Amino acid sequence: MKTFGEHELKTQFIHVGNKKIHIIENSEGVFTYKRDDVVVRILKGRKLSILPAPAEGYGVRFLMIRLRERLTVPPGETVHGYLSAPVDVVSKTGNTTIDRFVVGKEKYALYGEHSIGIIARYHVSPFYESEPDSLGVVKLIIRNPTRDWKLVERVVIPIKNSTMFYSGERAYYPLIILTTKEPYEVNNTGNPPDGRLKATHKAEPMPNFRMRWWP
Amino acid sequence: MNTTALSTPIVPGITVEELLKAILAMVILTFLGELMKKGIIRASKETDLTWILNEDTAELVFKLFILGGIIGALYALGLMKYNVGPTTIGNLAFAVGFFYISYLIAKKSKDYLIQTKRGPEDKIKAKLFYYTFITLAFFLALSFAGIMGELGALLAAAGITGIVLGFSSRTVVSNFVSGIFMYFDKPLQIGDAVQVGDVQGIVEDIRILSTRIRTWDGTLVRIPNETLFNSNIVNLKRYPVRRVDVQVGIAYAEDAQRAIEVIKKTLDEMPLVLAEPEPRVYVEDLGDSAVILRVWAWAPSEKWFDVRTEIVRRIKEALDREGIEIPFPQRVNWFANELKVKLEGE
Repeated sequence: MKTFGEHELKTQFIHVGNKKIHIIENSEGVFTYKRDDVVVRILKGRKLSILPAPAEGYGVRFLMIRLRERLTVPPGETVHGYLSAPVDVVSKTGNTTIDRFVVGKEKYALYGEHSIGIIARYHVSPFYESEPDSLGVVKLIIRNPTRDWKLVERVVIPIKNSTMFYSGERAYYPLIILTTKEPYEVNNTGNPPDGRLKATHKAEPMPNFRMRWWP
Repeated sequence: MNTTALSTPIVPGITVEELLKAILAMVILTFLGELMKKGIIRASKETDLTWILNEDTAELVFKLFILGGIIGALYALGLMKYNVGPTTIGNLAFAVGFFYISYLIAKKSKDYLIQTKRGPEDKIKAKLFYYTFITLAFFLALSFAGIMGELGALLAAAGITGIVLGFSSRTVVSNFVSGIFMYFDKPLQIGDAVQVGDVQGIVEDIRILSTRIRTWDGTLVRIPNETLFNSNIVNLKRYPVRRVDVQVGIAYAEDAQRAIEVIKKTLDEMPLVLAEPEPRVYVEDLGDSAVILRVWAWAPSEKWFDVRTEIVRRIKEALDREGIEIPFPQRVNWFANELKVKLEGE
């Protein structure tokens, strides 16, 4: 069943992860949008867009994905893989956001030290060799340009205002490249992990994030 | 009109010619001021430089011309040449005009800095700039007035008065100096959540003599800077995370480990209880009536209060759900002699 993209306005349920959106047609061209306690009356509308958004939650700028099993990467090697990831969802009529919500488990963590760290959205994921069956996916490339083996425990991704990509069923973060030259550097490329995916919006390239506390 | 008529005094010391010149000076400068004002307002609508070309600037320039007109008129009337002590009225008028214009410029600059750079530190910098500018303008105005030389003598003469005033204004000076020290020490900033003594709330403003704190119940408390500087200031949101500490008592009959697992699961289900640093739950004490568990959970500083109240509520619900008793205080009484109980109706 299609989750992301444009939905024709008619009486129906739209399932997004563990959330359910209920559209009710009240009269000709007048609809009621319901999700948990959120109710919006849509007048003379025809389409509703359900789009993925970066997992900013209550307003954080970073997503920290801790790997369930730590990875070691050989010197000079590049590894390709996937991570599951949390996503937020926005409902739009035209370009206007009428609702934004979190799907799945919402959790936060401190990245860094008590006095100078940052609060990041938190998620634990295995390192998959092929695309996982989760609502949100990160395609990750790990490059080790050094002459030593490198350990990777977590990836901290800058997500604020990041563009997102989607198919009917899944949401994708842009291609993420982690370079294990110390300090580890994370590049949110802004590019689609797969050329067939649609983008939520055109976004400026994001500055690289240096993981001050690695691995 | 002939020359004689023009030189006829209308009041002692002021001729018709002088009066006409004064009126002409006022009219011309008012007209020019109005013209400049309109020009600036028109330009403000066609430019991106609205930070300088705006209605406030137009009003300032207009006032400048009016002031020029008044001084010009007073010169034309010949009133400026009269001596007042060691100086002339002309010098005094110029000094007052200079100080007034400097004040307007300083005020406008301060407002502009506060509007464009909205950070709390910028607000303090703007105020510091304002007071420095005003102080410099004040001394320059004294110099223009021609009484700077006399000021030294005046100050010496006022030495005893100064000592008396010094003692009486000691608190004011102390507050002022503390305010400057606080600017460099930065124990708190506007917008910080702080506790100073018994007062807890948000720092609304840091002024040159006092700091204003909006308490949680919506009242404004003014704390003199000296008091603040000498107090233990607790900054509640300086760091990104803050720990929630909660004590929970469970009955002695309950399985403490199971209670710990229930509480840990409850914390894990709460989004704003941070996964890292990991929450800790442990047996802290064996109390009189209960086994005391201690809960440590970290939360984003700005959400601390919400998280704390939520933790207490959810732990109570979870323990109730799992049938784990939170006991009332209990006391076992032993009686030295056998206790005789009389039942009703016997």
